[in-house]
Amino acid sequence: MRKHMILAAAAVSALFGVVAVSAQDAAIEPVACAEPGQLTMWVWDENWATVIGEAINEWTTEYCPGAEVDLQVQPWNQYWDLLRTNIAGGDMPDVFNMSQDRFFFYNSNGALLDLQPYLDEAGIDTTVWGSGSVDPYRSPETNDLYAVPVNWDTIAIFYNKDMFDAAGLDYPTSDWTWDDFAAAAAALTTDDVYGAAVYSEYQAGYPNWIAATGTEPVVDAARTTCTLTEPGSIEALNFLKGLLDQGYMPTISDLGGASADDSFNAWLAGRVAMVSGGSWKLPAALEQADFGWDVVQLPRNPETNRTRSIVHSVGYVASASTDAPDLAANLIIFLGSDAGQRYFAEAGGVAPANPSQQQTWIDSFGDSDVNIQAFVDALQDSQGVTPFDEIWNTMNTELVVNIFDLGQSVEEATAAACDFINSQLPS
Amino acid sequence: MTLFLRPLGATPRARRRALWGLALVLPNTLGLLIFFGIPVLMTFGLSLFEWNGIRPPVWNGLQNFERMFFEDPLFWRALGNTLRLALFVVPANMALALGVAVLLNQRLRGRNLFRTVYFLPVITSTVAASVVWTWIFQPSYGLIGIVPGLGEMQWLTRPDLVLIPIAVVTIWQRIGFDMILFLAGLQNVPRILHEAALIDGANNRQRFLRITLPMLSPTTFLVLILNVIAVFQVFDQIYIMTSRTTPGGVGGSATTLTFMLYQAGFVRSEFGYASAISLALFLIVLAITVVQIRLQRRWVYYESEAG
Repeated sequence: MRKHMILAAAAVSALFGVVAVSAQDAAIEPVACAEPGQLTMWVWDENWATVIGEAINEWTTEYCPGAEVDLQVQPWNQYWDLLRTNIAGGDMPDVFNMSQDRFFFYNSNGALLDLQPYLDEAGIDTTVWGSGSVDPYRSPETNDLYAVPVNWDTIAIFYNKDMFDAAGLDYPTSDWTWDDFAAAAAALTTDDVYGAAVYSEYQAGYPNWIAATGTEPVVDAARTTCTLTEPGSIEALNFLKGLLDQGYMPTISDLGGASADDSFNAWLAGRVAMVSGGSWKLPAALEQADFGWDVVQLPRNPETNRTRSIVHSVGYVASASTDAPDLAANLIIFLGSDAGQRYFAEAGGVAPANPSQQQTWIDSFGDSDVNIQAFVDALQDSQGVTPFDEIWNTMNTELVVNIFDLGQSVEEATAAACDFINSQLPS
Repeated sequence: MTLFLRPLGATPRARRRALWGLALVLPNTLGLLIFFGIPVLMTFGLSLFEWNGIRPPVWNGLQNFERMFFEDPLFWRALGNTLRLALFVVPANMALALGVAVLLNQRLRGRNLFRTVYFLPVITSTVAASVVWTWIFQPSYGLIGIVPGLGEMQWLTRPDLVLIPIAVVTIWQRIGFDMILFLAGLQNVPRILHEAALIDGANNRQRFLRITLPMLSPTTFLVLILNVIAVFQVFDQIYIMTSRTTPGGVGGSATTLTFMLYQAGFVRSEFGYASAISLALFLIVLAITVVQIRLQRRWVYYESEAG
């Protein structure tokens, strides 16, 4: 167990390019604010709101007495619609969470505050966070950083150990292949239980399987063409559809919705034996799963022998039109600093982005024997987030519904999706 | 001064009464103008611009309309969906509401209880109702499975089926309201007519078709107009019931004009285009209403105009 933790620590430090993980290395120190004031802050995750709330308490006590933050949770389903409505109404939150694929719309329209001057003033070297975390948040022209990363997350398979025991199967290991996965899904499917649910949504679903074939999922990194019609994409989608057609995976109608949370909730309820989930689901699993469970890396594609995961960092951004830019930047810097990120690290949920907090995060799992190594290992050959706002609906829900609910053939559905996506790409 | 007020009335007394009338409606009119009239005019103006909510609006001329009518297939699909929904919901609603009103106009024990129960869906939040109905229409474990054969169909994802749950929720929510209007209309049918007919030996069906329906025609006309306008504005049901799978339905199969304009404005931040769609929607509904008002001379019988 100890050795396992040390390996995990080494792997994580490889991500951040520091030789040894220690408290003194790459410290990100917060600074006191010049003048307190009031801020509104939006997040989309309830668990994070608790953690961030505690961090904010420390900020208002130690670094900015007299400041007040109205922290609001806007559910993920409505978060982006609400943000757009509020922007148009001139009522943007001062500080809010941002994701890498949506960043481009807000930044290209000048809606976000440039944090680079504040980071420079506080003496923070922005390369301290890994390039996968912060490069998507940089302005293409000036390379200025507009967001401070909250976390990094990868995808792994959450599986129900009790069901594996009942079926007489060995637990999966990190070198298992797609064929092993299919066999397990077949063996685990009973009258009441589906073997797996692993296709929903971009981040936790089918693109991870596409990436394992060596194809960039949905669009290429330069955002010039749709890749869904390439052989690798077709292969991955056909593999998943095959499992569905044989009854080992539920349809979207069975799951009740096309969200990755619907699949995950089905797993928590004991209706599905294996589900693909992000590391941000760890708190939910730890609290709510009333069966034995563990995580393992996504299975390897038999030809390429690669197992790949989408990697993403959520960021804190500030509105360019906020009344209190200095205060907003100060809060963001605190939340990304060692002190602010410690709360995330200790909460034992999603991994904090701050490099000095990785050991704390790993230690927070000390008591439970969850194999978080799987999430850490997934960083090795990970796939950065590439799609964009305008095609979100099409590739996140419509494609999935067409293939995995309405029974459309993969070739037909991907051709239709690519037609639309190519029409949206800048020509 | 009196020159200006001349149009209000011939005599000073008439003018005074007219002024009083205007003064009393002023608060309501002012509210309507400020919170409704002006924003509506601004929206129509915005349809000539391009605006994404962050940068200032950019003049666009008629490009939004060109795009809407000639380049965007979704507009015609949405229009088709809206008309299909209207053709299904409006007659069904009126027929059911009239039936219920007729039943509940008789002397029945617990009649008031029944009337309340039928009216309850009207005051229920559309959003809450849509959430519940989404679960009823779930293929594997929704209540719809009680009816054999209906439980397996994918009501909320299949493009050919998705309008049905939406129509069902709309009808369910609206019957009570139309029922109240019909009840008022039924109670205004003069009893003497029915009594005279009974003396002449008319049976129930003849009385209904020859007396009740014609005397009810002003109410029917009102219900028809209100229903058509309401169906064109259906939004909550579509938003909630398709949000779990594909917002607006696969390939826009559940998208009506209202939903399309919501997506253009608040999801893709194309506020100019959304304004253009809303102007088109307004003109369509206006045209339909004007046609209905013109046609009313043919079939609406106002007792006060009788010879």
